[in-house]
Formats: sequence, structure tokens, C-alpha cells
Amino acid sequence: MSASLTLSTTRRARRLAVVPLGALALAGAMLAGILFGPAHVSLAGLLATLADALGLAPLPAEFARDAAVLGVVRLPRVLMAAIVGAGLGVAGAAMQGLFRNPLADPGLIGVSAGAGLAAVVAIVLGGSLFGAAAGLLGLWLLPLAAFVGGLAATLLMARLGSVGGVTSVATLLLAGVAVNALAGALTGMMIFMADDRQVRDITFWTLGSLAGSRWAQVPVVAVLVGLPTLALCALARPLNALMLGEAEAFHLGTRVEAVKRLAVVLAAIAVAAGVAFTGLIGFLGLVVPHLVRLGFGSDHRLVLPGAALLGGALLVLADLAARSLAAPAELPVGVVTALLGAPFFLWLLRRRGGTR
Amino acid sequence: MTEIIFALGAGARVIAVDSTSRFPTLVEALPRIGYMRALAPEGLIALTPDLLLMSEEAGPPQAVAVLRAARAPIRVVPDRPSADGVRAKILAVAEALGLDGAPLAAAVRADWAALDAPIGSQRPRRAIFILSASRGAPLVSGEGTHADAMLRAAGATNVIGGFTGYRPLSAEAAAMAAPDAVVMMTHSLAEAGGLDAVLSMPALAVTPVARTRRVLAVDGPYTLSFGPRAPQARRDLARLLHPGAALPDLPLRDWT
Amino acid sequence: MISARHVTVRAGQRTLLDAVSLDMVPGKVLAVIGPNGAGKSTLLGALAGTLRPASGQVNVDGRALGDWRPVALARRRAVVGQSASLAFPMDAAEVVGLGRLPWHGTPGAARDHAAVAAALSATQATHLAGQAYATLSGGERQRVQIARALAQLDGADQPAALLLDEPTASLDVRHVASLLRLVRRLAQGGLAVLVVLHDLNEAAFVADRVAILVEGRLVASGLPRDVLDPVSVAQIYGIEFRKLADGSLLPRFSDVCVW
Repeated sequence: MSASLTLSTTRRARRLAVVPLGALALAGAMLAGILFGPAHVSLAGLLATLADALGLAPLPAEFARDAAVLGVVRLPRVLMAAIVGAGLGVAGAAMQGLFRNPLADPGLIGVSAGAGLAAVVAIVLGGSLFGAAAGLLGLWLLPLAAFVGGLAATLLMARLGSVGGVTSVATLLLAGVAVNALAGALTGMMIFMADDRQVRDITFWTLGSLAGSRWAQVPVVAVLVGLPTLALCALARPLNALMLGEAEAFHLGTRVEAVKRLAVVLAAIAVAAGVAFTGLIGFLGLVVPHLVRLGFGSDHRLVLPGAALLGGALLVLADLAARSLAAPAELPVGVVTALLGAPFFLWLLRRRGGTR
Repeated sequence: MTEIIFALGAGARVIAVDSTSRFPTLVEALPRIGYMRALAPEGLIALTPDLLLMSEEAGPPQAVAVLRAARAPIRVVPDRPSADGVRAKILAVAEALGLDGAPLAAAVRADWAALDAPIGSQRPRRAIFILSASRGAPLVSGEGTHADAMLRAAGATNVIGGFTGYRPLSAEAAAMAAPDAVVMMTHSLAEAGGLDAVLSMPALAVTPVARTRRVLAVDGPYTLSFGPRAPQARRDLARLLHPGAALPDLPLRDWT
Repeated sequence: MISARHVTVRAGQRTLLDAVSLDMVPGKVLAVIGPNGAGKSTLLGALAGTLRPASGQVNVDGRALGDWRPVALARRRAVVGQSASLAFPMDAAEVVGLGRLPWHGTPGAARDHAAVAAALSATQATHLAGQAYATLSGGERQRVQIARALAQLDGADQPAALLLDEPTASLDVRHVASLLRLVRRLAQGGLAVLVVLHDLNEAAFVADRVAILVEGRLVASGLPRDVLDPVSVAQIYGIEFRKLADGSLLPRFSDVCVW
């Protein structure tokens, strides 16, 4: 299966280990996320909750709080973090491969800016703009708006970046810059129109948080983020072909235009659906693919699934830190990922500067 | 709300407060649960409270939904900036705590009412409330805010209107509105650089305030929270706005 | 096995190629030369399938280029462009391995490993296999790219085609010589080779047949010793040449005034 000639079998074996290792990391992180946190859950409480969940023994009243913490607060939250983190990681890896740019991240295709703008509109104008629908949708209004906004921004960007059916990467990048700028300007206008309370809400949404994770959201992201994540992993070979450039990829038999469109659409859906519920979480999409490449090389067949698994694991751990470090308050998880991601990214830049 | 709990005599039962609770001063030592619109479900549950008293403004809505799903003992307390609003708040908190709030509510109501006539007989001063002025245009209060309500209660007309909440104030709008007094929170005034810095801002330099130099500093939570000390806050602000007026002293209360 | 018939390529109002016809023959090297802007790379693009002709036809093995699925085409012809750069670190062996992508899912995929090894061996680049591509010199990168193309064509059951776009540009003389010898060896092994070159002597050395393009038109095509005579070449390039005893052509720099 592997087409790379490596000098030693141990190196090849190490590379093939990326999926099992990643899965292990993710499982471990999720376990930690469920077991640890500011609300202390005793071992007895954990066992009692499990027993009740498996139908073995009814839950004694004294463990009601433990069960609530585990089942209502932590478990959906850990699942959301794992799925959304996977989507961000794999989308970042795909965008870096597509744009052949190590500095690319999902924000490049405008999806974060569009989702952010739509969320701000929903926060500021929510009731008045959507009227009866707002009442009906309740807590789903904001995520729905953000999802639609993210996709709309990407669509706009793709239209701007295509000239006569051919999507030039350079034009796409510029279109992304333009869309980001436009969204930023409109967001600023919305913030101006907002009252003090709304501005605070916007600020916290923009920083990203998993505090609002509920069970009802899990199937939605499992489909809208999970499926595109799997599909992007299947694009590994065409992305490998693109490594040498678009002309070369064509010569290797890749349908370049179709791959570009598909990769952008899938990444947009995965990120928009995640961001819709969690707000903007930065640096994961940028940094996680590089971490995987450092350990396992640049073959997309390893980097894409590796980035998904590692992205999920890291977001689960970042969320654990976010809710534990400032208890009983909570750090926005986007702050934690930025605090960890920025220094690493600077180190990466220095390293690149050295080898070139 | 924190003040009300203490005023009801149940202060010992408070185990944590939000970021805006400052009085009585001993609550500063309690754990802080953060800004009330950025609540952390697990952090709150970790404190194993018997009761979570939250204002209608608490959020974000998703976090509150998680708390409800986890069956946290939530009671929502209304928060309207008016004499009746204070009364409703006191009674709601008392009821949640299983105490009788009527005496406290009545006392606060009486104190408030005692100021009605004296303040009403003064000519209302043209004033604005500035929330913060340290960057760009100052944020000024329109209608529907606690500041607006307290301004009007203390014998001033909020000359800025037409919107709810806080907005940046343009110099031209300020010139048109022509207030002769500015009310600010003490820490905002300090952040803005003091009296002279505030008066030199374009938005105020074109108003009568530049001449009267009437920039009145008040303690933020004390003046705006519409808690049991609301009557005292009303009187203090009225005194600042109408220096020569004869305002009655209010009875000394336990909770002030 | 790749042939062009009256191929015309336009870009907007400009005609880049004007009714060019030529054939790539298995076992033979065809060199395409001409002044800058003559359309050499355009011709290569048209033959490779990257550019669509406005009129005329390109056939691969008798079938029209448009009828070929991209993946199937990739298994019959390989293109080595100008030295490509990678965005992410890969070692040379992995780059060569990219050439096996068109064979994914076919029985030929079983040969992936062996094909890469054979390609590295044929280009004498085996010692470069584990090195990071970014650290290789220009000449080494070209060899790795050719190895990649060879790996791509390994297992093609009929004669395959190799197209090279100015492979000797920016290489120093020693590497030029070894690369041209490699190209001749590959042709002798049965490949149909087309190589776009700048230098007349390189063309004379490596080619069985030479085609000269000027402003999109094919002005000469035939054996090197017939096509590359000083008089015709002087007319095409606008500068005088001298022919030395061993047959190589030297440009006469002294009495030229272009600007």
C-alpha cells in the first residue's frame, strides 16, 4: 500500500503507527476530560453512574450530582470537543495541502469570518430580524445563523476566486483576504449598533467556548463535522499529487479542479458546523497538521487522519484546562488554544527560517 | 442581589459571587464565578450550591440550558431599575431563601418615597451618564438602562435618548443635547485621565459642561445596582446634581 | 506514439502555436528548440494535455487526447516540468513515490516499491533517496524528478512517452552532460522522448530528430545535421554561427547589435 521507499523499516513502521497512536491519544484525552474537572466526582459516583447507565442498578440519590456532572455536563462536552477539534485539524491540513502553504488554516477560505459575522448579526438583531423564527428556533438560532454565514462566505470566496471555471490558488487567497476584510467591516458595524450587553456576548462568543455543549448538539456535529472529516481523509492521494504543483498533479492524473472544489466545500462544512456551536477556536487548524508532519512526514494519507485525531485530542485537553484553571469561572477555550498555539507557531517559523 | 441577601440577614449562606458583586466588602474574599453572561456550568456545579440565584440577564443561554439539564437549583430574579423593581427583587430573593422580605422591602420603599417630593420640587438638571471614556468616543447611556433610571430618579433629565443601552457619543449630538452635568463612575473617570482630560474631550468641550465643569463621580455598583441601598444612592446623586437643595437624611439602616 | 496534427493554440488574441504537426516516436529523442517565446513550452503543454488546442488534434496511441481519462493518460505519459518546489518537507524517495499515484487501485500497484527502486537506480539517484528534497541541488532535483517520471511509467504495457521541459536550464555543464546521457539511455530503452531545449549543441548531442519553432510555427524538422546548419540557424536566431570541426555550433558574439 505504501508507495514511499524508506531507508529503514522502523521509519516506515513508525509512520504507519499514526492512526493507532492518534486514536490512543484521543481516547486518553477523552477519558481525562470525563474524569477530571473542577467538580470532583468520586470513584463511587463514577461507578454508580455507569451502573445506572448500563441498567445494572438504579442511581442512589447521593450520586445524582455526580451523574449530572458526568452525563449532562462533561460527556457531551468531551464529545463535542473531540468532533469539532477533529474537524478543525483535518480542515487545516487539507487547506495547507490545497494551497501548498504551511501558513494556511481554515480561516483562509473565509468560513470563520462569515460564521462570526452571522453570529454577531444573530446576537445583535436576533429577535427583530428573524421575528417568529427566532422564538421557534430558540437556542438553535445562533448556531444555524453561524453555519449558514460560514458557508455563504466560502461560496462568495469561491465565486470570486474562480475565473472561467478555473480556480486559481493565488486568486482564491486574495478572495479570502477580501472576504475576511468585508466580514470584519460588517462585524464592526454590528458591534457599533450593539448595546453593552451584546458587545460582551459577542466578545465571549468570538473567543470560543464549549460551555454550552449539550447532548442535542452531538448528533448534529457528528454528521456535519464527522462526515466531511472522513471524506477529507479520502482526498489524501489527490492532495499528495498537488504537492508538486497543479500542473504536475494534472500530469499525474488528478482532476485538479474537482479536487479543489471538493476540498474547499468539505472543509467549509466541517469548520462552519463546528464554529456554529463553539464560537471561533483558533490555531488548532494551523498548528495540528504541523505537529503531525513533524512526527510522521508529509504524506497526506497520514497527515489528514493524524490531524483529525490529534485535533480532537488537543481540543478536549484544551477544554479541560479551560474549565479547570479559573474555576469556578472558565477561560474561553480559544484563549487556551491561542496561548499554546502561538508560541509553537513562532518556533515553527524560526525553524523554517533556519532551513531555508 | 448579593446586597439583598446580606440585608435579609442571610449573608452567611453566600458561598460565591459574580464579578460585579462588591458590597458588603467581605464578599471580595469569596470565590468569583466570573462575568454573569459567561457562566461556566461545571464550575458552578462544582461548588455544590443548594441555590443558584441568577438575574434575568445571566448567560450565555446555552450554559443556562446545560445547568437546567443538570438539574441545578436555579431561581431567576427579575431586575428592573425602578422603585417597584427593587421591591420585586427583594421579595423574589427572600422567597427563594425562604425568608420574609416584606419588612426590608417596605423599609426600602419608604426611604425611596421620602425623597420623591424634595427631588420633585427641584428643576431637573440636564445630564448625561458616561459609562467609559478612555478610548475614542465616550459611551453614553440612552434609555432603559439602570443609569438612565437613576438619573431621572435623582432629579435629572437624560438629554440623550432615542435608543436603548449604551452608544458612542458624537460631539455633534452632544452639542445638540447640551447637557450641563455629566455623571460618571469613579473608576471610569480615573481611567479617562481625570476631570481635565474628560472635559477636554471633543464630545464634552462643545457642551455647557465645559463651562460648568460639573463632572460628578459616583460609585458604580452602589449607584446603579438598584439594590437595598437604592434610596441612599438616589439621595447621594441628587445631592451632587442639586447642591443647594434640602434633601432629608434617611434613617440609618443595617444594610448600608 | 503521441502525435500532433495542425495544432493551433491561442491565448486571447495571440496565437501561441500555428498549425504545428509532429510525432513522438518510441525509442527516439525529439528535441524542440527555438528562440524565446517561440511556443516550445506551449507545444509541450498541448502534447501533455494541459493546454487545449483551438484547432487541430493531439493523438495518443491513435486515440484523441480528449478521449483519454486523466488517470489512464498518466500511466502512459509523464511530464517533467521546470524544477518544482515543495511546500512541505519530503525526502527524495517520497517524491519519486508520487509518480506511482496513477497506479493506485490497479494491479500495477503491487510494483510500487520496485518501480521506485528501479527508477532511482536508472537515474543513479539511489544515494539521494533518504535526503530531504529541499536540500538537493538543482541537478539532483532534476534527476529525482526524472526518476519520478520513470516510476510513473513503470509497468506501462505499451511504449510510453516522456516529455521534458528545459531540463538543463540552470544546471552546470557537468550535470547537463550526465542528464543528456541519461535521456539518450532512456530512449534506447524504448521510451518516446520529447525534450525542450535552449542550447543548439545540447539538441545536437541528445536528439535523433530536431524541430525548430519560431513564433509558434514549425520552421524546420529533421535530422540534427540537416536542420542545424549555420545558415538556417543564423536566419532563425538572427545571429551568426560558426561550425566547428566536430560539428558543434558556436555563436559569433563580436559583430552583433540587437539593441
